[in-house]
Formats: sequence, C-alpha cells, structure tokens
Amino acid sequence: MATQTSRRLQVADASPDGATVENPLLEGLRLTRTPEPCALVIFGASGDLTRRKLFPALYSLAYRRLLPEQFAVVGVARSAMTDDEFRERMQAGVKQFGRDEYREDVWNPFAAGIRYVSTEFASDEGEDQVTATLSELDKERGTRGNRVYYLAIPPDVIATLVRELGQRRGTEGWTRLIIEKPFGHDLTSARELNRRLHRHFKEDEIFRIDHYLGKETVQNIAALRFANGIFEPIWNRQFIDHIQITVGESIGIEGRAGFYEQSGAIRDIFQNHMLQLVANTAMEPPIDFTADSVRNEKVKVLRAMHTPSPKNVIRGQYGRGYVEGVEVPGYREETGVAPDSMTETYIAAKLFVDNWRWADTPIYVRTGKRLPRRETTIAIQFKRAPHPPFAEVAGDELQPNVLVIHVQPNEGVSLEIGAKVPGQGMAIRTVHMDFLYGGTFRTGLPEAYERLILDAMLGDATLFTRSDEIEEQWALVDTVVAAWRRDRPHFPNYPAGTWGPPAAAEVLSRDGRAWRTH
Amino acid sequence: MDAEQLGSWEGEDVSIGMIEPRLAELRHRDDGDPAELRTSVMTHIAWVPQEWEQAAAVTRSGLGARHPSRAIVLYPRPDAGSDRIDARVTVEAYGLPGLERHVSAEVIELWLCGNRCVDPASIAAPLLMADLPVFLRWRGRPTFSGAGFERLLELVDRLIVNSAEWRDVPGAYAEAAAVFGRAACSDIAWRRTERWRASAARLWPEIAEATELTVTGPAAEAYLIAGWLRSRLDVDLELKHEEAESLERMTAGETPVPEPAGDEPTPSDLLAAELDLLQRDRVYEAAAEAACQLAPLAA
Repeated sequence: MATQTSRRLQVADASPDGATVENPLLEGLRLTRTPEPCALVIFGASGDLTRRKLFPALYSLAYRRLLPEQFAVVGVARSAMTDDEFRERMQAGVKQFGRDEYREDVWNPFAAGIRYVSTEFASDEGEDQVTATLSELDKERGTRGNRVYYLAIPPDVIATLVRELGQRRGTEGWTRLIIEKPFGHDLTSARELNRRLHRHFKEDEIFRIDHYLGKETVQNIAALRFANGIFEPIWNRQFIDHIQITVGESIGIEGRAGFYEQSGAIRDIFQNHMLQLVANTAMEPPIDFTADSVRNEKVKVLRAMHTPSPKNVIRGQYGRGYVEGVEVPGYREETGVAPDSMTETYIAAKLFVDNWRWADTPIYVRTGKRLPRRETTIAIQFKRAPHPPFAEVAGDELQPNVLVIHVQPNEGVSLEIGAKVPGQGMAIRTVHMDFLYGGTFRTGLPEAYERLILDAMLGDATLFTRSDEIEEQWALVDTVVAAWRRDRPHFPNYPAGTWGPPAAAEVLSRDGRAWRTH
Repeated sequence: MDAEQLGSWEGEDVSIGMIEPRLAELRHRDDGDPAELRTSVMTHIAWVPQEWEQAAAVTRSGLGARHPSRAIVLYPRPDAGSDRIDARVTVEAYGLPGLERHVSAEVIELWLCGNRCVDPASIAAPLLMADLPVFLRWRGRPTFSGAGFERLLELVDRLIVNSAEWRDVPGAYAEAAAVFGRAACSDIAWRRTERWRASAARLWPEIAEATELTVTGPAAEAYLIAGWLRSRLDVDLELKHEEAESLERMTAGETPVPEPAGDEPTPSDLLAAELDLLQRDRVYEAAAEAACQLAPLAA
C-alpha cells in the first residue's frame, strides 16, 4: 500500500479507452509528501516569529528534503533590508533556534531562493513590488504561479492586505493563505474578517493557524483515542469523573505589553489553544481523518459547550513573586503595562459539553502566566473504583486512575494506577506508567510549524481552524467577556509563581475536587 | 546520539537463566532511586557470524537511539572447541533531549560455542520481551531449509536479510520465497533501491514500454529492481547488469532513470526503516519471486 504519495509523481493516467489507470509502480513505495513548486510569501517577515520559528522550520523541511525543488521565500516587512541582509538575519535565526545541525549544503540552495521586499503592508505600490518579485521567481525558480501567503501581521491590516492579494490573483497556479492569530478580537470582528476573506478566497484556501494543533502530542490525542480499543469505550461520562486541562506558562509577557494589554489570557490562549484542546479531547470519532471530517466533529463540541456561569469563570492577574527562585515583577510593573491595568493574565473555568457523551462531566480549564512551571497537560480523571475489597484500605484512600496527556514539556502519556506495596497486608500505592515520546520514538519531535507549513503547502487543512470553529470559539469568549464587564475584581490577585487566585481553587473545591499540582 | 553504558556483566559458560537477574541488577540504581526506566518497542535478535561482526556493530551503534529494544545478539562459533555459551550483558542509557532523565535499553550478547549454536531459538525464546514484536536480522546468507533457521523463524514476526550479502543471487531468491508465507520478510538490498524505484516510478507510463533494463550497481539490487518492474508492469523485461559498489546508473529501454537526489541512507537508516514495518511486503515478495526467473546478461 502506498502510504504517502508525492503530488509530483504521476499517480494516474488515462488509458486509450479513457479509463483512469493507477501507476502500478507506486504501490509499496514509502514516499515523502512533497508539495508542488511554490513561493512562500511571509508578510511581517522582520518579526520574531519569522526568525525564531518560521525559518528554522523551513530549514528543517529543507534538511529533510521535504520542500519542493522549485521553491522560493519572499519576506515582506516595513524594515529596510536588502536580500542579503534578510538572508543573513534568517541564517542567524536558523543557527540559533533550529533543531537540526546547520549545514551549508542545505542552507545555500535554500537561501538562493530567498528574497526580501521592504514595503508598507497593503499599499498598492508595495503589493505591485511583491507581485513583480513573485513573477521573477516564477521564471527564475520555476514556482509556477503557486503562492502560499503567510500573514504574520497586525490584525488591523489583514483585511486590507487580503483585498490587495485577492485583486492581484494571477490566473496561473493556486493560492493559499496562512493566517496567524489573533483572528479577530470578538465574534463580530471574526465574522467580518471571515466575510472579507471569503470575498476573495475560498474556505479551502484559508489556513488559520493554531500552532498547538501542529504539536505531535495534540495529534496524539486522536491516536490515543481512536487507535486503541481500550480507551474509547470508557471515554465518556459513565467512567470519567472530570477532565482538567492546564496551559501554564512560567514566563511573563516578555516585552509584549502592547499585544497582551489588548488580548489578555482569554484571547491569547483560551479562545484558541485551550478550546482546541477541549474540542480534540471531547470530539466524537470522525469517519476519517480528512480536514472536514475532523473539523465537523470539533465544531460540534464547540457548539455543545454551554456558557459557563460567572461564578465558574475566574480571572486573575499576577503580582510580584518568585518563579524558579528569582523574584519577578507583577504584571502592572511590566514595561508598557498600565499601572492600573485590568488585563487578566490568568483564567480558569468550569466548562460543560452538553451532549450524550459528556453531560454533567465538568471540564476544568486554566491558563495563566507566571505560574510555577511551564506545563500543558490534559488530565482525564476516571471515577473511583466503586468498592475496594481490601480491609486495610479505606475507600477514599484509593486514588482514582488518571490518564495524563503531556502536551509540553516531557511530551508523552502517563497513567496513574493503584498497585500493591510489596510486603504483608494490602497497602495500595499510586504508581505511574509513563510513555515518553522522546524515550520511545527517539527521533526529534518536529516543531509544530514544520508540520503546519508543509500541510498548508500540500493543501491539507486538517490541522487548521475552520471559519465556523473560530466563530464558535469567539461566541463563547464574548459571553464570558460580557459578564466580566459587570464587575471589577481586585487585581493583582495571585503572586507570580503560584497556581492562580484562590477563587480558582474554590471552583473545584465546591465540587469536592482539586486542581492537579504536579 | 551516543549511548552511555550504565553497566555490564560478562560470564563464561553461562546458563540463560542467569541473564534476566543480571539485567535487573544492572538496571537497579545504588542511590535508592527507582530502577532505570526501560523503554522497548521490540526484541531485536541479530544472528551474526564472525565475518559480519564488525559491520553488525557499526549498524547497531547507529540504531539503538532510534529503536529502543532488547537486543539479543547471537554470535555462532561452531568451531569453538567446546559446547558452551559466553555472555556479555549491557544496559545502555540514552539521554532525553532537554531532560535530566534517560531511558535504558538492554543488549544481550551471546557467543554460542560448539553445539550450542545448533538451536538458537531455544536460547532466544526465554529472553524475548513479552507482547512485543520480534525482529530477526540474519547476517549473511541463511540456510533457509536448515533446522536452526526454521525454528528461529517460528519465533519471530519479521525476518530481515540483506541479499547483497549473498553470492548466489538471483537463484537464492527462490529459496527465500519459500519462507515468505511464514514470516514477514525484509531485505535491506530492496530498501536500498527505494530511491531509485521512486525515480523510475516517475517515468510511468512510458517505462511500461521498456523491454530491457540496464543497471550499474550491486547484483542484488539490479535483480530486485528488474524483478520489481517485471512483477509490477507484468512485462517480460531483460536485465543487463554491470557490477558496481552502489547503484550508479539505471536505464529503462532507452530512457535513463534520473539519479535520485539526496544522500544514500546509511546501513543504520536502512535497518531502522525495516524495523518500522510489521506487515508483509508483498511488492518485495513479488519482486524477489520475479527476480529468480531472470537470466543475467552482461551490460
């Protein structure tokens, strides 16, 4: 069976009688997926994302020969730079942040296709310049009019740029748009942006990126659930007591006050990464793993989530405290943050998915900055064993089984089970069974951006967010934000280096539960 | 990624029953911490006659990091003079990138002296990891109908050979074909042709018209590619072969097959690729069966 076929290979041909004949030589070949010739245009190319993430990802793809032979990258940004200066800057980024060894024989042919255009976004003149550069590259590099536009730009210029790009669409080749978050700042703006996008591009040409979906461990949620017969029968309200999802960061806002003051934790993490993790954990099995099948199931989960009551949504802001032994400033003391800022750096919520599988099963989620450690986990806590028959063990001493999906760091899965302590009697202790990605599949995990950029070039939207998903996410966020307008909490309400405000713990303690802390 | 040796134990004239307790001791840490985390995805048995010892060591050193396994390396020494088993047992540690933790893998090397090499299956069977697939890498040309080989074959899920190590291709493929139905079979020589086969596949449908294939490269690879084209395209293709250390040129009819881009895979890469497979490779089986019908012609 051909596992992954290259589009460059001729997979089928018409026989003399007009019937399609499959290429018999492809069977059994383990071919890598290689996109068609194309040019990748990065708008916002002078930003950190391009240097730290995008170019190291592209280099890793080149290192593994996953890029098409006819390929070019055009960086577009306001900063004045020559092609050579841009190349040097990106080369330094690859050396500093790349996961693969730097090799001249990989970099040089890749770098030969790098260009830079210095312009205002979405100006007529600038876009003409980009178009002219792309036409030159079509001739020089054979990119055949195929374009991937990567929009790593401020949200306020996306709509104008999309219009400019739409108006300049050539007749030759295909066009795809990758759009970085934030995708709107509420439901109205997201809908408006979708409307403007759809005026010029079809939905299957639009790739809204959420880099969490490119992480191996997030994709492993589907593998764990749907490739193992033992989990899916118990993946429901009958056996699961509750779910805890934590997206914790130990860092602060890292100089991004301008962005963070506008977004806060709810727009930075909750609206996108967090709700995607919920959707991946709770969705029904898709009929196949194609983009629409998967996204249809995820959107059903988002639609089934009911608005949490205000007492079940806690926001917080960190004050001064200690993280990893170092005293760090409070949020309001960060450069660029208003001294009376009411921006939340923490959010915890108790969510419900109202469907047959999950009714009355709480999904507790929390995300925040300056928490004790960087950790993204999904913990599935199963119900306790109903009746422990051991005389020495009280029922409440038996810990319930917990399946933890470690998204980052220490990618893997662990299962907590009760085991007998060796010796007389019947003492039970909780032990961990660990599957560490790095320990078992000892190849380095690809960076999320490698997978996502490659998928976009291949036209595979499975790991990207569809317009209706985005709108459902914003609909939920809007209701929460609307409720927040009615009160003014006392900020800061948690010291840096702790797991958030006490009220977040109360959400669980009211239910007789507690957050996992390790 | 280099392995760090956590400990090893050696013994002469040992019993197989001694091996597991020694491994457990080596995994156990003296500082009171829990035993080393052991990660295995398979048991990897290697049958390594003396002339292949060095090559096998090189391949294995590049492999451990990618496929954590219990490796059971059997060194047959039929002429050793006495009937005994000598052993070296090693626990190796592989660091986890970005973590202070590591995982350990086990290597059990057994020198089967004299008559102890008659029935290797009875030696390997007690040492297999429960419920994990068993891969057998047989170095050199197996005696396919030999009792020792047959018994070992019953134990394993996948047999991996390298027909480039055989002197009697294409005739040997007929013997190899007899075991296809009993264990999944991989051939490193076949995997080595994959890049060229992908390149040839790009010439379809024109390549289906070719009646002659000219290959400059190792005989095994030339025969397997010719057998592949014969079986996939159902054509009566003739092979012209010129010997070379590696696949250098290939022409289908009058059309040169473009040389594939990129570096040739290392022996470790090739073996690692085979260790990812669990099912039968029916395309290979058909190619090997077709290859043994080819009459060699000089290029």
